Amino acid sequence: MDMRPRAALSLHLALVASTLAALAAPAPASAIPAFARKYGTSCLTCHSVYPRLVPFGEAFRRNGYRFPGVDSDYVKQETVALGQEANKKTFPNSVWPATIPISIPLAFGANGQAFIYPDQSASVSRANNGTQYVLDDLVKEGHIWAGAALDDSVTLWGELTFGGGEADVEHAQVLVNDLAGPKHLLNVYVGRGFPTLGSFGPHSSYLGDLRMTTVPLTGIYGLSTDPFTLVDSFNGVEATGVLLGRLDWSAGVTAGKNVSSIKFNSENWYAHVGAKLGGMSLDGEGSQGPKDALRPWAEDAVTFDAFVLHSREAFPTPGVATAPPPLGDTSLAIGGAIRGQLGSLELDVGGYNQKHDRGTAGLASVSADVEWAELSYVVFPWLVPAVRVERIGLRPSDGPHVDALHVMPGIAFLLRANVKAVLVANIETTNGFPGDSTGAPLGWMGGNADWGGFAIAPRDTSTTTSPRTEIQSLALFLAWAI
Amino acid sequence: MTPRAHVVGRLVALLAPALGALPALAQTGSITGKVEATPAKYLAETVVYVKHAPGTFPPKTESMDQRALTFIPHVLVITKGDTVRFLNHDTVAHNVYSPDGEAYNLGTFKPNEERTHKFEKEGAYSQLCSIHPEMLGYIYVNQNPYAAAVDAKGRYTIKNVPPGSYQLVVWNPKLKAPEKPITVTAGKAAEANFAIKR
Repeated sequence: MDMRPRAALSLHLALVASTLAALAAPAPASAIPAFARKYGTSCLTCHSVYPRLVPFGEAFRRNGYRFPGVDSDYVKQETVALGQEANKKTFPNSVWPATIPISIPLAFGANGQAFIYPDQSASVSRANNGTQYVLDDLVKEGHIWAGAALDDSVTLWGELTFGGGEADVEHAQVLVNDLAGPKHLLNVYVGRGFPTLGSFGPHSSYLGDLRMTTVPLTGIYGLSTDPFTLVDSFNGVEATGVLLGRLDWSAGVTAGKNVSSIKFNSENWYAHVGAKLGGMSLDGEGSQGPKDALRPWAEDAVTFDAFVLHSREAFPTPGVATAPPPLGDTSLAIGGAIRGQLGSLELDVGGYNQKHDRGTAGLASVSADVEWAELSYVVFPWLVPAVRVERIGLRPSDGPHVDALHVMPGIAFLLRANVKAVLVANIETTNGFPGDSTGAPLGWMGGNADWGGFAIAPRDTSTTTSPRTEIQSLALFLAWAI
Repeated sequence: MTPRAHVVGRLVALLAPALGALPALAQTGSITGKVEATPAKYLAETVVYVKHAPGTFPPKTESMDQRALTFIPHVLVITKGDTVRFLNHDTVAHNVYSPDGEAYNLGTFKPNEERTHKFEKEGAYSQLCSIHPEMLGYIYVNQNPYAAAVDAKGRYTIKNVPPGSYQLVVWNPKLKAPEKPITVTAGKAAEANFAIKR
């Protein structure tokens, strides 16, 4: 074996593993049992196999975690008044009125996964001494969620995730809704959360953690320890809303996660527009309920989305930890998605191009074209077979163009409304591997890494253009929330 | 005057004191019914009242107490010109104010102190305490005394209503329903039900 690829491989495996671990940290809920207690309603009002949302749940999420109509009309949990409606007349001589729940609006949960590696020569198994199965992550994360309303327009949403001996604030947002114009037209979210790049929740997938396939491109090439991805928990400010129940929009600025000692976080801005034809309106207002009361997830609708995200991030010169000036990378991602639903059958497809002007290990420009598709059918409200396909193409200006295709057939189960399991297989085909500045192959990264990820370790005999197909893993994902 | 008319006149004169002592029910009727609220949690803050009744009504004095940081009753129905004694049977100081209608602030008063306020303007008054912002009560001031707050099941009874035709109105701070015409007959109970919603 050529020693150069082996040395590069060992150097990068740690980075790859740590990056995968970071990517694998999911934020698996868009609504939580705290809301179920607040409204005295089942998880199934908003979810199918959680965190997938039914049309009503999507409307609840888009409305800033509020019911259509007057939110407080639906609240069954007792509240403590921090002021009265009449105090609006006495403002500014009194504090603007609000309420808090009489009990702390928290929910708890855990999730993890077990892997079986049918092919011990496949990348993950080989990188782990030929292991056949891994239970290390059967319980991987604990979560504390918080969701509450201060009144009919201001809501709070938070998520604290524990795992690997660390705690991470994944979400902490104040959502100020209905700021101007018709109801739902202008809401402003401040804090930490996912940028809204589509009309559906970020976890809108039965088989993956994220609806949108993400590619930590600067991470793949080793430029960043906390690589930029399109969708992650970022600090920022977002304006968003729904117009006439059929159009939704969002625009915001965020900081990335790539903090270095010599530069602030990256500077990102983004915007999204979407349109829905048929089915429940995007804000749920005026809804006559589902066409079939026994199938609240089902509707006949098609939704179109388009987005743009611009990022400017900085990182230290590779191998030089602190010396200024930092290197800069500007990226632009443009993409879209279409979700078509016919009753219980759904096809969700999307893609984008993400171009970086300084993204490879050789500091050259690179673009990634990414597509995903997920076909699902809700057989029973607790049983959803699906197949998900993800493809990533890397087009560096200083290296070979390579592609990876990930096919994930699987089944999502609800054991109870708040306990779920997902069994999913991961089959991957690559026509090569990204390369470092010396041309040595690097591991693939990206996609729904919770479920096995992409090939993380080229074979000993690999070159950057070595094609590979492997049955990477069978994964059993388990989660509960209460 | 005929002898017969004279006899009748004498009888009326003799019976007059007794007739005056008969219960008012003999000359008035009542209005009763039920209010259903959607959502039901707002039902408690509901008043049903006769919109306008002719006549003048002698002023009365009613009371609203404060116990355990709560206004009691939660809804007090009075007539324009009535006075309300605001009591404090807590062991902490309270304040009573309202930004509604003729807006007033009765200041801070200690346990067992009381303040009064005469209501000269019709309408609903939120009763607030600036020391305890969670406290809320309502005083509904009607043009006439023919009004009642609903009970826990939404039932109400307006007693001693003079016979006649009226408009019956339901008030709730969040919910509403169209008013209804109603005719009251002496000695009988007229019925009117409401369904209030957004």
